[in-house]
Amino acid sequence: MADVPAKSLGEKLQSINRSTLFLILILCTSVPLFFPVKLPNRADAPSMDLYQKLMTLPEGSTVLVQSDWTNSTRGESGGQFNALMRILMRRHIKACIYTAADPQAPEVARNAIAELNKQQDAAHLPEYKEWDDWVHLGFFPSAEGTSVSIGTDVRKAFAGKKATQPNGTQADVFESPVLKNIHAVRDFPLMILITASNTSNVAIERLYGKVPLAMMVTGVMGPETQVYYDSHQLVGLSKGLKGVYDIENMMQDGAKIAGQTFPPFTGPGVINKDLGTRYYPTLHMALLLLIVAVVVGNVGMFLSRKRSTQ
Amino acid sequence: MNLILAQTDPRLNFWNGTNDSVGLWAKIIIAFVLGVLLIAALTRVPPQFRRVIVTTATFIAGFFYIALWLWPEPIGKKPGTLPNGAVEWVGFNISDAVSVVGDFYNILATMLLGLGVFSVLRIHLRKFVKKQQDWGFSAVLLAGIVAMVFFGYANYLTKFGPDAAKLADQANWGFVNYGQNLLFDGMLQQMDAAMFSIIAFYILSAAYRAFRIRSVEATILLATALIVILSLMGLAASIWGMPVDALSPHVTLNGQSVPDPGSFTQNFRLENIAKWLTDALQTSSLRGIDFGVGIGTLAMGMRLWLSLEKGGVSQ
Repeated sequence: MADVPAKSLGEKLQSINRSTLFLILILCTSVPLFFPVKLPNRADAPSMDLYQKLMTLPEGSTVLVQSDWTNSTRGESGGQFNALMRILMRRHIKACIYTAADPQAPEVARNAIAELNKQQDAAHLPEYKEWDDWVHLGFFPSAEGTSVSIGTDVRKAFAGKKATQPNGTQADVFESPVLKNIHAVRDFPLMILITASNTSNVAIERLYGKVPLAMMVTGVMGPETQVYYDSHQLVGLSKGLKGVYDIENMMQDGAKIAGQTFPPFTGPGVINKDLGTRYYPTLHMALLLLIVAVVVGNVGMFLSRKRSTQ
Repeated sequence: MNLILAQTDPRLNFWNGTNDSVGLWAKIIIAFVLGVLLIAALTRVPPQFRRVIVTTATFIAGFFYIALWLWPEPIGKKPGTLPNGAVEWVGFNISDAVSVVGDFYNILATMLLGLGVFSVLRIHLRKFVKKQQDWGFSAVLLAGIVAMVFFGYANYLTKFGPDAAKLADQANWGFVNYGQNLLFDGMLQQMDAAMFSIIAFYILSAAYRAFRIRSVEATILLATALIVILSLMGLAASIWGMPVDALSPHVTLNGQSVPDPGSFTQNFRLENIAKWLTDALQTSSLRGIDFGVGIGTLAMGMRLWLSLEKGGVSQ
């Protein structure tokens, strides 16, 4: 039996077992979850513009929220949704929520608001109440048709939708404090889309120019959505986990944007830091591991080439 | 025309009714029966006439949205406003019809979801009944569908019922609420998240095995990717920024000496390099791609609208 030649260092570096890689990834992404640390951060311009817009909305107004995310992107979209809802509830801004991407999304959004309300209750802070502060209009299977309808006549687009009143009975959503003053889409001072899917393009195509648009998208969607921010079709943009961390930091530390100073949200039981802060160290480790993996693979290739030329 | 299309002006007309009224339920049942009869009739249309029906429906549907796009939009239209001239009359009717067509669109999309469920049920019921290979998986799938529909709908009824407010407290939950919670939040949502997180493993494995600097192009790609990745890491950006800040001229702001954000050297901060890459290179490239995709979509849309595309029922 012939001796198998020993692998060179270059070959070894290029042939790390997949299971080993996966194990390292599990460790790198899990361990930071148990050691929360504050990492230095500079909020990027799209996040700051979004925060500025949210913080300058008139109190008592209603924003239109298209919630198109489910738990598959909970780390990013969930953090974005929670941060958005916290800002809206603290600034006494109402939210009209609907979904145009996934039948699961309405229940996910309702659960997220219920969870936030539990935290509010625990801190003896006022709840964000259905009917008075927010309504969810449910799932609209056709994003295209619904967006065109909203742009043309929001009253007809949402006609017949019902929500539960505090006394437990259902009534037309346009009788609720959230929508009673809304007659056209331009009555919303802002529409925010939280999405992990292509509905962002549909919103731009069908609603740009009719209502100010802002988006909270996953990191993967960041580059394609940045195009619309650069062309000023979006008034603000939160991209991925970094975007969540930016918003949470501005809520926690306050922000100074374009000459305007926004104080931090403070008070007993006030929670500003959530999923973004919890997962940002994990993102660091995962990205670092990605860089190390690419470097190791390439070093292995160069060592092997060097050896073969010798 | 306005009577047919305008659903809410007046709010009650022939096409709707008071919530839970006998009249409304009668209209729903009649519409359902007529819908079933229409679908049954369409399935019996001879093949040579199917093309005519499909192309006509496609053309009308496409024409509506083209008319909506091109026809002058009525400005400041309120309920009860009368049109001034033929052009505005058409504009009013197109505007009134948008929500009705949007509802049709939603109903069709919902029917497609139903069609998908029907197809899945048919395939897996057959597999289960005939005990074909892996029929056990089909049984699990069928049980999952039935359980989810049952608990989902029962939970929906309690959540929107008279005792809905009490359900905020978990102590008031019943069997169906716990069942829905287990199936939707406890299983479906967690599996959804788990499936998506698997991508991270494949990305890492692919990056390690395939991302090699074998050419100038690959080197440029790797360098730009590295800068963008590092810019997302606040810690890396902060460390990189230390020498840049030290080399930058300083200004006094609120009594503190800080690097002048407008100085030339600040361009070499990691986040600023990444911003330049994204704004100058990536955005313009994506716009170019989007233009190409847009033109392709327009051409494809025209072919579909005019039923020039080969294949399918329209052939």
